[in-house]
Amino acid sequence: MKTTVPIIAAFLSGFVMLLAFFFNPETSALGKLEPEVLSWVTIVGGFTLLLGVVSIVRVNYSSVKRKSSGWGYKLATLISIFAMAIPAIVPVRWSSLFGTGTGSIYDWLFNYIDSPMMSTMFAMLAFYIASAAFRAFRARSAEATLLLVTATLVMLWRVPMGEAFLSGIHPDIPDLINTYIMNGANMAVQRGIIIGAALGAAAMSLRIMLGIERTYMGK
Amino acid sequence: MTILLIFAYIFLILIGALLLYMTFKTDDRRYIYLAVGFYVIFPVIVTLKLPIMLSPEVKQLYDAVEALPDSSTVMLTFDYYPSTLAETEPMSHAALHHLFRKNCKVVTMTTIPLGGPSIAERVTRELAEEYNKVYGIDFVNLGYKANYVAVLKGMGTSIETIYPTDNSGTPLSEIPMMKDIENYGDIDFIFVVADNSIVDYWISIVNAQYNNPVGTGLTAVMAPRYFAYIGSGQMTGMLGGMKGAAEYETLLQKPAAANMGMTSQSLVHLFIIFSVIAGNIIFFMGKKGKSRKSA
Repeated sequence: MKTTVPIIAAFLSGFVMLLAFFFNPETSALGKLEPEVLSWVTIVGGFTLLLGVVSIVRVNYSSVKRKSSGWGYKLATLISIFAMAIPAIVPVRWSSLFGTGTGSIYDWLFNYIDSPMMSTMFAMLAFYIASAAFRAFRARSAEATLLLVTATLVMLWRVPMGEAFLSGIHPDIPDLINTYIMNGANMAVQRGIIIGAALGAAAMSLRIMLGIERTYMGK
Repeated sequence: MTILLIFAYIFLILIGALLLYMTFKTDDRRYIYLAVGFYVIFPVIVTLKLPIMLSPEVKQLYDAVEALPDSSTVMLTFDYYPSTLAETEPMSHAALHHLFRKNCKVVTMTTIPLGGPSIAERVTRELAEEYNKVYGIDFVNLGYKANYVAVLKGMGTSIETIYPTDNSGTPLSEIPMMKDIENYGDIDFIFVVADNSIVDYWISIVNAQYNNPVGTGLTAVMAPRYFAYIGSGQMTGMLGGMKGAAEYETLLQKPAAANMGMTSQSLVHLFIIFSVIAGNIIFFMGKKGKSRKSA
């Protein structure tokens, strides 16, 4: 039962969406099913977010209760979740500080705490990349040399100072990089990857619909 | 002025060389971090104006928006996390400048729960004030809905089914601008600003199935992947990273944050290239020394 029902649900949902693609949503019953199923998907999607919150609270709460290692960070996670969520959930008609609109607590926390913290974390990558470039990016083989030369050319091409430098050598160099590296070798390889990934996704969808792939059930 | 600039460049090169030398001597990577920090901050103190060359992808996107008739309806997405704001927000700003300047009706939305609706609200309101645009008549923020594939697909049939209310909870039926907008058929152009693979779905679902032209603004690391879609004609232009945004600002003749960031980015890129070259010279010299010793 635990396996059969999810497989039937997955098969029916997938099959309906597959068939509905070929029918007009305004004139045919099967076509009309498509927006209905999609509404269901968004509703289920909303519940999965809730499930995520419940799971994070449970995991972190038990660690804080047991005072296991790093429990302080877990407490910070819990406080952050509730500090962001509660003012956002409270109806805005009670006060303009509630809800998610401009000037609300949620908005303030997002703009002045969350957003700068995330930007800082991401910005730190630049420091690590610079360090790695000096310490690890070596022309040890022909392939590594090719990668190194291409990366250097693209990095120069993507900034005005580098572009000016390349144009100073020959005015056509920036255009040549765009034509032969980005729109040539890069595009060809990316197309291969995109087509390969799409075929893989189609095969995986079919496996899920037919019940061969069951990892989504935790099996 | 030119002499000052030459001095500035020599100073920058010397600082980089000195800090790399210190890193090599002490094996302390913090000198490299110091150099990167210095190159990011330096342009804030000393302004170095750089010429921005235009790439065909940016020009294509600009021309596509420019070719839209006045008062067209455009969907602008804020599909990015706060972590990439430095790259993506200038794109949204530039796009909104262009759209409001052309009196387009702008529908904003996001598939990112973390901050997407707030960023959209802040950026659109900021620019709407500058162009005297009124919420509900000239622009609408639909906000966020979970499960992006269903959202993108569902809006093809009815936007109201997916978004019964806007971001602040007003029913779409009460918003004057949304009365004439039922689905993608009523949208003339989609301008996607994103920092993740949601772009694939805008192309495979919205462009491929509903024939809506899709132009994009993407982070620099994502851009190489999407040249494939420009080549196939499924994507109408692309802004690649902060440089793309700077090019768009140049086309709009409104240099702003992206243009300002170009000097920092240029200096850091050049420093990284310099580091790679220096690192390789040291590596090969060390190798040569070792082989001599063993011989």
